Amino acid sequence: MMPDMTQHGKAEIEQWKPVEGTPVIMFDRVSKTYGRINALNSVSLGISGGVTGILGMNGAGKSTLFKLMMGKVKPSSGAIRLFGTDPWKNQAPYSRIGFVPEHEKMYDWMTAFDFIVTFARLHGMTREEASSEANRVLSFVSLSDVMHKKIGQFSKGMRQRVKIAHALVNDPELIILDEPLQGCDPLARTTIMNVIKELGAMGRTVLVSSHILHEIERITEQIVILHQGRVLALGNSHAIREMLDQHPHKIALECDDPRELAKSIIKIDEVTGMSFADKGRLLIETKHLGEVHKKLPKTIIDSGRRVTSIDNPDDDLQSILMYLTGGTT
Amino acid sequence: MSSRMDTIWSRLDRKSTAIAEFTMRQYRTRISTWVVMIASVVALLLVLLFYIEAMNTEIQAIDNDNDSVDTDGDGYPDGQERFHGTDPNVAEDFPANVEPDPPEKWINEDDIDWDELKDGENYVGEDNDKDCLNGFDTISQQDTNDNNIPCDVVVIVDSLNSTVTIIEDQNVDEDPDEDKYGKEAGHRAFILGIGKFGIVYLLGIFLPLFLATGLIREEMSEGTIHYMLAKPISRGEVLLYRMLGYVGVTWPFILVVCVTLCLITGFSGPGEDLFRWQDIPVWMSIAWSAMLVSLVYGTIFCGFGIVWKNGVILAILFAAWELGMAFVAILTGGDSSIRYMSVIGWGMIIVDAGAAIGWPDNWQLVEIGLWGGGHGEENWLGQVDYAPLPGAEPLSAFSGSPNLGVSTWLALVISSLVLVFQGVMAWFIGQTIFKAKEVN
Repeated sequence: MMPDMTQHGKAEIEQWKPVEGTPVIMFDRVSKTYGRINALNSVSLGISGGVTGILGMNGAGKSTLFKLMMGKVKPSSGAIRLFGTDPWKNQAPYSRIGFVPEHEKMYDWMTAFDFIVTFARLHGMTREEASSEANRVLSFVSLSDVMHKKIGQFSKGMRQRVKIAHALVNDPELIILDEPLQGCDPLARTTIMNVIKELGAMGRTVLVSSHILHEIERITEQIVILHQGRVLALGNSHAIREMLDQHPHKIALECDDPRELAKSIIKIDEVTGMSFADKGRLLIETKHLGEVHKKLPKTIIDSGRRVTSIDNPDDDLQSILMYLTGGTT
Repeated sequence: MSSRMDTIWSRLDRKSTAIAEFTMRQYRTRISTWVVMIASVVALLLVLLFYIEAMNTEIQAIDNDNDSVDTDGDGYPDGQERFHGTDPNVAEDFPANVEPDPPEKWINEDDIDWDELKDGENYVGEDNDKDCLNGFDTISQQDTNDNNIPCDVVVIVDSLNSTVTIIEDQNVDEDPDEDKYGKEAGHRAFILGIGKFGIVYLLGIFLPLFLATGLIREEMSEGTIHYMLAKPISRGEVLLYRMLGYVGVTWPFILVVCVTLCLITGFSGPGEDLFRWQDIPVWMSIAWSAMLVSLVYGTIFCGFGIVWKNGVILAILFAAWELGMAFVAILTGGDSSIRYMSVIGWGMIIVDAGAAIGWPDNWQLVEIGLWGGGHGEENWLGQVDYAPLPGAEPLSAFSGSPNLGVSTWLALVISSLVLVFQGVMAWFIGQTIFKAKEVN
């Protein structure tokens, strides 16, 4: 059943019921312009269940997408439905949503526990309910031991986890995380990624935005790539990978003697070209990244050269976008 | 009540207390809260110092009729001689069986002691020192106001036009006690002045300027508003409950300030009693007025903050308009109807009503003081410009009449309702703007 796209007026918070049989999130040809800037351009999406990564560079429209979902801004055209309800007109769906904003600013003067209890009460919980829920979510993000400390004393990663915990307090069906990994140290990253994966495994619909492909790949296979306000690609990360594999890639090696090493590497069939970059740096070109990576370790060992690092300078969003857009970025 | 209603109400209640409580705790962590409160208290204390100084300074008594002088040098002041019917100009003629009075006794010897005046003609006044009865020989001299009562004062009260005309027989109530009057009038003028201008206007505008303008705006510019707006709660509610938290901080503060000032001035003010109980209704009306006014200003300023990131500029412009209105309302004593176009004008009506309830004789005290015993110089129109008693002019300036054409209590209720209505309208407009506002 399609949601009623023309619905008006606001529902009572108590009366609000999600429309049956609709996707959790639905964007129907949604555009958003700020003045002359097209932040989103006719985006249509339907997302239900599992973890979805929203991938895009800064300014691609990720935040605008989330702001539209959260009813912070009004679409210039098109329709948005959360559980079948227009979020700009009705806040009721937020009882089923947890939102982690990208803004770094928090209420530093509050303890993590107080922060979560206060905002849990906005879901209509009593103090007691809110306290027990706060305990639950704080242990879920492994912050139980520091929950009575002021947020201001927390590290970046801990703050992100507090934000995530606060969004989980109402046991939401949809969790939206805007750049949750930004600025976190590796340990915090891993913790947060595990939390997100766990939420996905629990059957929740999770949206995570990021501008780093391999981060998203570690969390989920379901990816939406946004570029200049449009949905550029949508689907499984392996499919996107494969598509990328059809395009030439670069591998950068750092070693003591690039020229000697090059003599060995040129023998790999899939290598289509090589060049010497800076001192001690060798660039390999190939269209079959996977194959080359398989053969590379043995070749290096056989050559007897000492390689200090292997890097894929192409393996970032920039180059993916380059390929997907045919080099127009 | 149905269980459905019950759940809606208890849920609303949970959300409102959560946000209000949060807002109050947030205020506690902000320096601006403490700065504005401490600055207000310091400023009020400084003004209070002047008050205490004035209350402890004796006002120089003036001998208006010069009868403390002993013209003939027989040891009896002229007033005492006149009182006993002897000739003050003849040294040999003095009241034989009476000890001579010290001259000070004949300085403020004929005080103004009128009964409560009613609408129409009132015949009041008492020739305490008998310098009218004994000073003049003929009836026509003793009854210059021609009301067939020798040595009295005619006061014609026209409450419809708010005018009071005073026509006195010569030498009646001509030598009032300046200190007694000045203390009482000064005390009341201080309460009305600091109440109307210091508390209702200045406190009423500065508290919201510092505490309410950023209530939503700061959350918007810092991005923390996203936590609140991501909850199943409408923006109108957010605004309402934030204002509730604001009220939770400002109202107790205003109350504490007013109660403290009431206690200090009540114990140190003039009067026979240990404490001036009659001031309590006035202080209560000042506190009530300041609470309502700060609520209306707060809601308006918070709305300004939502409209524009520099909403404080709009707030200051608005405060300037209100300052003008405050002057209009104070200086015209409640006669100007332009004050209805403001918040402060209605706030002043509440204070005026409170003063009318606590001090029913206040307008009479003003008129007495401005008349001051009937002395003065003739101006070029041939009218007498009375020399007012000390404190009469400030009291006259800060006193006003509710002037709504209804009883005092009704005026109090009406002006309170108008302020509440203004607050509700400000909230409604604010939440309408807030709902249409895109929050980035």
